[in-house]
Amino acid sequence: MVDLDWLLHPVASGALSRLREALRLSPRTVRNLRTEFRRSALAKLGVGLIVCALLVAAFAPALAPHNPTNQNLNDNQLPPLGFDRQTTNTTSKMVNGSIEIVNETSWVNSTGEHPLGTDSLGRDMLSRTIYGARTSLIVGVIGTGIAALFGVTVGLLAGYYSGRIDDALMRSADVMLAFPSLVLAVALVGLIGTASVRVPDPFVRAGLTPNMPETFTLPGTVIIVVGLVNWVWFARVARSEALSVRSEEYIKAARAVGASDRHIVTRHVLPNSITPIIVLATIQVAAIILLESALAFLGFSGTTLSWGFDIAQGRQYLSSSWWIATIPGVAIVLTVVGINLVGDWLRDALDPGIEGEGGGP
Amino acid sequence: MTTVSLGRFLLKRAVQGVFVIWGVVTVVFLLRFITPGDPVTFIAPLDASQELRRRIAAELGLNRPIYVQYLDYLAGLLQGDMGYSYISNTEASARVFARLPATVELAVAATVVAVALSIPLGVVSATRRHEPVDYGATLFSLVGISTPNFWLGIMLVLLLAVQFGLFPTSQRGTGFLPAVAGTVGQFDPGLVVRLAVELRGEALLAYLGKLPLVTWLAHITLPAVTLGTYFTALITRLTRSGMLDELGKSYIRASRAKGLPESLVRYKHALRNTLAPVITVVGLQLGTLIGGAVITEAVFAWPGLGTELIRAINLRDWPLIQGSLIVIGAGFVVVNTLVDALQAYLDPRVVAD
Amino acid sequence: MAGRDLLRVEGLSTRFFTEEGQINAVEDVSFTLREGEVFGIVGESGSGKSVTALSLVDLVESPGRVTAGEVRYRDADLAASVRDRHPDAVDGEFVDLRRVPERVRRSLRGPSFSMIFQDPMSSFNPSVTVGEQIAEAVEVQRRASANPRSTRSRTQGYGLGRLLADTVLPTRSYVSGESRERAVELLEQVGIPDPADRADEYPHQFSGGMLQRAMVAQALAGEPDVLVADEPTTALDVTIQAQILNLLDDLQAEAGMSILLITHNLGVIARTCDRVGVMYAGEVVERGSLTAVFDNPVHPYTQGLLGSIPDLADPAPRLQPIEGSVPDLVDAEMDDRCYFADRCPKAMTECLDKPPEFAVDGDDEHAAMCVLADHDFIESEALRPDYFESPLEGADVDAAESETDD
Repeated sequence: MVDLDWLLHPVASGALSRLREALRLSPRTVRNLRTEFRRSALAKLGVGLIVCALLVAAFAPALAPHNPTNQNLNDNQLPPLGFDRQTTNTTSKMVNGSIEIVNETSWVNSTGEHPLGTDSLGRDMLSRTIYGARTSLIVGVIGTGIAALFGVTVGLLAGYYSGRIDDALMRSADVMLAFPSLVLAVALVGLIGTASVRVPDPFVRAGLTPNMPETFTLPGTVIIVVGLVNWVWFARVARSEALSVRSEEYIKAARAVGASDRHIVTRHVLPNSITPIIVLATIQVAAIILLESALAFLGFSGTTLSWGFDIAQGRQYLSSSWWIATIPGVAIVLTVVGINLVGDWLRDALDPGIEGEGGGP
Repeated sequence: MTTVSLGRFLLKRAVQGVFVIWGVVTVVFLLRFITPGDPVTFIAPLDASQELRRRIAAELGLNRPIYVQYLDYLAGLLQGDMGYSYISNTEASARVFARLPATVELAVAATVVAVALSIPLGVVSATRRHEPVDYGATLFSLVGISTPNFWLGIMLVLLLAVQFGLFPTSQRGTGFLPAVAGTVGQFDPGLVVRLAVELRGEALLAYLGKLPLVTWLAHITLPAVTLGTYFTALITRLTRSGMLDELGKSYIRASRAKGLPESLVRYKHALRNTLAPVITVVGLQLGTLIGGAVITEAVFAWPGLGTELIRAINLRDWPLIQGSLIVIGAGFVVVNTLVDALQAYLDPRVVAD
Repeated sequence: MAGRDLLRVEGLSTRFFTEEGQINAVEDVSFTLREGEVFGIVGESGSGKSVTALSLVDLVESPGRVTAGEVRYRDADLAASVRDRHPDAVDGEFVDLRRVPERVRRSLRGPSFSMIFQDPMSSFNPSVTVGEQIAEAVEVQRRASANPRSTRSRTQGYGLGRLLADTVLPTRSYVSGESRERAVELLEQVGIPDPADRADEYPHQFSGGMLQRAMVAQALAGEPDVLVADEPTTALDVTIQAQILNLLDDLQAEAGMSILLITHNLGVIARTCDRVGVMYAGEVVERGSLTAVFDNPVHPYTQGLLGSIPDLADPAPRLQPIEGSVPDLVDAEMDDRCYFADRCPKAMTECLDKPPEFAVDGDDEHAAMCVLADHDFIESEALRPDYFESPLEGADVDAAESETDD
């Protein structure tokens, strides 16, 4: 069990209270979070997994033993430490004037050089898995941000003004919901194309890790599309919160003293909707990570450094090299389990009263 | 709840559903105009002249104003016409509906697996709280909702098909109905009894293994488990928390106070009330099931609508893309309406609201 | 009018085992209920009166558990049937319900004990019609008397399979037609107009008062000997309260059952009860006939309670609220003293020890758990009014040190 009691340390608490102000959480909410965290081993495990994933993603160039894109065909399909791979070499030689074919069975052993083995092109699996965390988390977080920004804006407006605007939104949300997010994402990415953005890697720039890739590829289309196909969930939650808040006395009072709609929405409605939105956003990061890996698996991705992409590659070598498809999948499961555990923690502590919406493939 | 109000409720839902389907058709139609690339470039040869391109566009009706194309498309749809596939030169609707049964079969099989496993598991988990079965179910549902199903499918293939050879790795045998018909036609109970009596186990297994229904089962097991696991986990989770919630309510105590047997308290009262909200969430998650079917089909080379859609997208075969998306969207709306009806049946308050 | 003893409760204790610690909700409670009488239990919220009621019918839910005591119920038939297997539970015609299997206790719910609850709206299943729920209560007794010792009586043949069948085929049901008819009769009996139509309605279509009547009808389904009414009027309007109380009065006169009435409302007690027990912090601190307790209250808590209701005949004196509130009943924080001492205007040094129960004025019935029943208030022994806020002041040094160590 990872010891995470440092989160309760004064310094961390200071950070927590600053976060609290930024998100306008009440002291009671923060106390609930802390009590629930202290009580639940699963919450600690979840936070531990996410902190690990974030560190791995942030320091990928420093942690990866090899350049994840370097191919080495001499060392392809090396098994992970502790495993062997059987291979058959066919040679032919002349014996008494006739050609004899000899099948020789040999063993490929693992090396400490590649602790998790290599893929079909001899690329280091450990390094690829480490870099894959970057893609997953960046797509998950930015995609959720786009979905939340768009969805919450639309939902708050609809819920606050209600009437025609609301009707129009809810009907378009129904239409959106009729398309499974994976189907819509596949269609959009497939039809728009997989544009990507290359971002210089700060570690390489600073000369700290000269052997690593100089740029990191962000799958631009994918990020935008996964955000766009998931906004409806945020719109629904924000709308129902806005609907319930707008009938409160203090909103009527604010309106009576002449506060502008904009002021009321940003100062009163939004802060009161923030808890369920935070919980939903957590679940959505998990859903979007799963969605990204599915898109990459189907070949609709702008980057090759993705867990889903590696699983698709490894699938072709399933009978000879099981680890190529297995390892990235384990990484996905661990990350998503971590996020879901944190989501459960937040839900138990904040009790926003929403069902398990969102979901993944 | 009277029958009249239930009927009116369902009618209202059905009318709403029709409007949503219309919205689906419109969005799918507009998709062609908001995504980059002219369909003609994908159809015409690379060295085609401007004149040839114009002729192709005219032949496909792509040169007409957008509202004419839209009305024309709507009119066609109402007669079941989705246009001709650009690539294979068959009717798009024929291709779509030829592929639909495989997808429906997969989705239904996965749902059956999920419902049959998850609801009992959730109930047991809630009624035996803090016992090993509860911890097991909680762990399973946590990992189940966190596992990408395509990876799960590959792992199942790796273990059960590649390592142990228990199941075929991919493809679909015959459909369910032909398999049933074939089995009924060729099944010979006398032979089975004779082989069993003579203790010829291997021959018996070989005979049974060749029955179409068994082949069907062998082909569908891994895809159905792959697609169903997420839902099994999700419904287990929801059933468990819902049951715990219901069992803590006062009416449960009141039911016990009047002497009702525990099974009646649990199943007729608590479980029934748990199922209504569970069904709501499952209805909302149906899209995930269909999306999951698309990727499961890709893993197992299952000849369904999903593989067809991906192929059509890669080839920009617009009539086929539109047809598949409309069938998927409309199918979701129809099933969702049925789910609403089931929920109204289970919980009369839904109609009252 | 009071008959023989029907129920003898002795030393009943119920504990809740929570993460915050053990909570002694009911502590060593004793009382008797006689045939055809109304026994009232009165106390503030949190005094343990509802848990006492639930303990009697074995409906305390986890993390709570009845930990000690005897619940002796007089039933000659029951005594005869369990005498062989559980000889230690039987004493003459009385059976100690805590010493018979859970199955037997469950079989008594309905024909022997029945309960009505505080909030009728949450005590009915919202998605089943009221008539069906009452019919269930009838049906369960019908089936039980049809095959009293059958092994199937626990589930009565109704498992998951039957539930699935019922969901798919609405005609197949646990409840028979006769039970449905009986349910309508019961609704009529409790004064619900158009009972046949109302039986097909759902709880949310009923008003609070009507639903409470329906709950009474449901409680009558098994023709119980003891009706436990837990705050039956608290959730209702004042005019409806009177109707429900009249209904209970009428039904009791008709059926001759005993009623255990649990309430915090002294007016309800004064209006309906023959005898009364006053609960405080999980204990019965004073009990006796209604007149004895109300006219001559001995325990300062009872005096405080009676002082805190307005008296229309003599409105002159100001209402006297009892200062402070009921303790939390967490085991670790309970000293072995009179629990009321910290709020008691007449607390003395001897109250720091647990007081025994004293008979009042030689009346066998009237007893109070207070030294004042034994002798008068001794001014020189009185505790300082702020003694419990700062007990360390003047207390011995050892206690102070051990306090700081924590």
